[in-house]
Amino acid sequence: MLLSSLLTLPAAVLAQTYTEHLHLSPLAQTSHLLAAFNFTSTTPLPAYESGHFTHFPRSLAQILQHTKTRELHLRFAWGRWDDEQWGPRPRMGRREGGTGVEIWAWLDGQDGGGVEERWSGLVNGLSGLFCASLNFIDSTRTTHPVLSFSPEGTHADEVRGLESLHGTLPHEVVCTENLTPFLKLLPCKGKAGISSLLDGHKVFDANWQTMSIDVRPICPGGSTGGECVLEIQQTVDVVLDVERSMRARGDPIPRPRPIEELECDGGKVYNGGDTCYPKVKEGEMGWSLSRIFGTPVRGNCHLADGHADPDITLEVPLDRIVNVTNAQPLDLGNGQSMRSYRLPDHPPGQYTDLALPQQSLNQAVVQPQPPLYATRTITGSGQQHGGMHARLHNPHPYAQTITYFESLPWFLRPYIHTLRVRNSETHEDVKLEKMFYTPAKDRERGTHLELMFTVPAKGEVELSYDFEKAVLRYTEYPPDANRGFDVAPAVIRILPNNTNGEGAASSQHLGEGQGSYIRTTSLLLPLPTPDFSMPYNVIILTSTVIALGFGSIFNLLTRRFVLAEEVPVSKLALRIKAIVGVARGVVGRLKGAKAVEMGGDAVGSGKGDGVGNGAG
Amino acid sequence: MASDAPQATGDFLPSEDGEPVNAVEAAKVVQSPPPEQPKSIWTRRSIIFSFWAIVVCFGLPLWIRTTTVYRADLPLRLMQQWADGLTCQFEVPLHVVVEAPGVSPTVAERLAQTLEEYYNEQNFFPIHRLRVTLSDLPQYDDSLQSPGSDRTSLAGASSNTVLTVRLKPSESESTALSRLDPYEAVLDVYYSPQHLETTRTAESHTRWPFSDTIVGEIQKVFAEEQATLAHLFINSGSPVKIDHLDEILYPQRKEKLARRATRSFKYAPVYHLTFSLFTPAATPSAWEIKAALDEYLEPLLRSFTTISNFTIDTQIQLFASFSPSIHGPLYNAESRLWTLQKTDLSGFINAAEWPLSPSIGEGPTINFILYVPGERGTPLVIAETGGTSWLIPQWGGVQILNLERDSGDRSMLTEADLKQVVFTFADQLTSLLGLPTSPASHALRISSLTRSHTISLILSASSTLGSLARLTQKLPQISIPDTVAESVDMTIHHLESACNGLKAGEFNRALEHARTAEAEAEKAFFEPSMVGQVYFPDEHKVAVYLPLLGPVAVPLIMAVIKEVRAWRAARRKGG
Repeated sequence: MLLSSLLTLPAAVLAQTYTEHLHLSPLAQTSHLLAAFNFTSTTPLPAYESGHFTHFPRSLAQILQHTKTRELHLRFAWGRWDDEQWGPRPRMGRREGGTGVEIWAWLDGQDGGGVEERWSGLVNGLSGLFCASLNFIDSTRTTHPVLSFSPEGTHADEVRGLESLHGTLPHEVVCTENLTPFLKLLPCKGKAGISSLLDGHKVFDANWQTMSIDVRPICPGGSTGGECVLEIQQTVDVVLDVERSMRARGDPIPRPRPIEELECDGGKVYNGGDTCYPKVKEGEMGWSLSRIFGTPVRGNCHLADGHADPDITLEVPLDRIVNVTNAQPLDLGNGQSMRSYRLPDHPPGQYTDLALPQQSLNQAVVQPQPPLYATRTITGSGQQHGGMHARLHNPHPYAQTITYFESLPWFLRPYIHTLRVRNSETHEDVKLEKMFYTPAKDRERGTHLELMFTVPAKGEVELSYDFEKAVLRYTEYPPDANRGFDVAPAVIRILPNNTNGEGAASSQHLGEGQGSYIRTTSLLLPLPTPDFSMPYNVIILTSTVIALGFGSIFNLLTRRFVLAEEVPVSKLALRIKAIVGVARGVVGRLKGAKAVEMGGDAVGSGKGDGVGNGAG
Repeated sequence: MASDAPQATGDFLPSEDGEPVNAVEAAKVVQSPPPEQPKSIWTRRSIIFSFWAIVVCFGLPLWIRTTTVYRADLPLRLMQQWADGLTCQFEVPLHVVVEAPGVSPTVAERLAQTLEEYYNEQNFFPIHRLRVTLSDLPQYDDSLQSPGSDRTSLAGASSNTVLTVRLKPSESESTALSRLDPYEAVLDVYYSPQHLETTRTAESHTRWPFSDTIVGEIQKVFAEEQATLAHLFINSGSPVKIDHLDEILYPQRKEKLARRATRSFKYAPVYHLTFSLFTPAATPSAWEIKAALDEYLEPLLRSFTTISNFTIDTQIQLFASFSPSIHGPLYNAESRLWTLQKTDLSGFINAAEWPLSPSIGEGPTINFILYVPGERGTPLVIAETGGTSWLIPQWGGVQILNLERDSGDRSMLTEADLKQVVFTFADQLTSLLGLPTSPASHALRISSLTRSHTISLILSASSTLGSLARLTQKLPQISIPDTVAESVDMTIHHLESACNGLKAGEFNRALEHARTAEAEAEKAFFEPSMVGQVYFPDEHKVAVYLPLLGPVAVPLIMAVIKEVRAWRAARRKGG
């Protein structure tokens, strides 16, 4: 995939540099456009360590230095990548995260430990920087993955002293407040160059979007020789619905279009004027940068470092017409379907736009297949038990070795003896090459499960296990307890062919050793939720029962038992009786007066009643 | 009624001769139960007693035990005493060493003696005490006369020495001249032989003019420090009495000190310095700040090491725009300058967009901003004064650097470009750190700052202790964990050490103790677990358990009342 080659681009450059790049590629057979932004800046490692940050964002650098973080990967993601329609993921899935927020980092644990504390400092610092709830990544959401991630940067012999930590927040909703600090980290701050296209309204209106920040040290001459640099790579990948993005900005509320404006299929038979069969789209949709992003590219962000890399690349078939305003086409000479442009240097502040008219192409572009299809679901019913079921389908004619990584919350307690990894067709168990499992501890840490196995060619592997749902304490429930609890996506790493785990870990080159990644969707786990007024009810009820019991027992023990006739009449009862008697008398007299007026005969009986009751 | 009537056997039985309530009632009373056995009375009473015993001996302690908040013992009286300033008598001895090579020992001794005598006699300020000693270097050493040996002679003075008075012979001058060394704490006094001669003739009871002159110079050196300390004591409400306050702290000086106090940062052991280059354009995108800081700022920072440490970081921010709240620079066609209004200076920093977040870790961040206007906006100056730099109190400094319009390469600021910039920043830094403006010697200013910081830290830690003591007395429901008690003990211990250190003249050690004391006092006062307990009153606890306690308590109490009544009636009857 061409996009994957983009990853290796900045590794060649050195010292104080900044490059930015936008890759646009319409996703075949859909009306979607993938826009992949990449901002890479490097700074010499000695300057960074002595606090002279130049273009490296100071706010982030301070957090990293304070917590001795050697390599950082931070992801904000939202939406679902549609494998079946959109094909393989951009950047081989290495710059995307699971739904919500995902972070993994290598921290220096050599000098006197305290890695947990530093990790907590890191997530808290980043939480403030990116306005995200990263501070909720505590020990229960942190795992130490072994197989699934390997450092991308060059780390000297200290690799042994580095500890990898991984945390997820699947519940976090990524939004504009995360994009704004993200843009502030860029040297041009979204005011010039391709970052001027990034607008919260568009980015978060996308079908799928992911933001990533990756910081790693690179030493081109190996860990010992050569001048080391620290690289920060920020990417934003969005899949935009072209039609939706191009709707008028003045009318942001989606409402049905009037029937006259609909494109109806004239070949169908209509019974009335108010029906419409949508017309099947022909050819490729027309679009332009300014219409999709609401603004053309403003100026450029070339920081006078002598680079001439393309700012924008466009991946469309060669016979597609592209109208370019104010940009200089570059001939890279490597791709048949790739066109490259560089933003003009003079005069500054120009607007650049790319426009592609609607066009019917002779041959349809075939979207390549993703390396693997993966789905994961929760099975079972009831409040107590459930099961996890994942299907991994290999569409390729060769076997693929993968690692499967799950970090489960502690209140989901898997029964590992029920873990089955089976071939779907033959129902035979698949041999697990490696397995790492850290059991959960209630309220202390979550489950960490890592498996390594091979998915056969054109085959499908099913993975399943049962679990038990824990009952939480009253205060541990979130405010929206009945919504359910998010379970972080599983991370599937497809190891590069003919390598195993150790080989991947030792290979430092980004392009080679990492393999590609796929993440499943996050899951919603319903837990038994109590009625939250319960504690008060319980207090009242038990108190009442105890008081009743106590009262009767106490009375039984201390009362004197006498014959019913011998019961002395208490003063209070006598007085109440007297009052009632007087009241009855008064009422009776009033009634009697009424009866006399009416000339009735009920006088006597009324009086008699009053007296009788009063005496009783 | 029944209560008036004496009861037969002590129980619910109205007496036979009691007046019936009415006729019907009288007709109803037929029988009364037989008199109760003393044994059954005793059984009943012991049952009631045992219930009460359980409640009192077991229930009540359990209730108290489970609902009390833990309160560690605090030395409240001692804390209050510190807050009232009763425990530490502030005394700052100023050790002055007289170095008099080439002067006979008797004369030098007498000079030292008169200096101490005259100074302490004229001194209004009760806290300062001058102690003059002779340098223990050999007096007649010719090698000391050579200028190269100046530094080595200083090493002879002990670390507690505040000021060294160095006598140097001069032939020409008839009046004694003195000069403060701009870097070291040395007062050079040039004397001619006739100055010393006076002493040979004069008797000890007449004043020695030469000594008087030197005392005058020494007083000048410590005048500002005295004013600073006086200002400190007055503002902190300390009970230290200062006579002749108006002479030490005259209004003009008071105003100056107040201005300095509002400008400068609160004392911290570590300050983070952030140097940022802001420009509205894409250039300059590089600067040789590291070299410039190492060259021009580092020596100043090194001189502060006994007081505070510094961390430095730098950054470049391009495309920085002004905040919309200011009017922005106006073009003055006459002078061909872009001008900033004075009212705009406070809003010059675009806090919303410029990444000037405070540094991580303890200690405040001091920001220094170098703003390079874009090519079109150059030159940019302040309208009223034509200046290009200003200070933002307790925040940092701002400076505008106007590059030459026709200078070809704007992309890089060289060390030479930055020299003046760093000097201005250094100047702003000293006033942000509260360094006094006089005396002229930098070392003296630093040591004066050490002393005033020590005293202000002691005062502030003491007043924090006092607040904590008052808080714990006012809120009996607040819990006091052991860590608070430990912190309070630590604070008091370090306060004592600081106070003693001051008295002994070991100012750096005193500052260290005062710093720890302040940190511990703050830690004790802001203990997070104390805050949560403030609003958990007794009423709350009772309300939660009332459904249980109410129904249980009523029969228990009623039974006791009944028994007591019966017992009383029986006794009255028996008596």
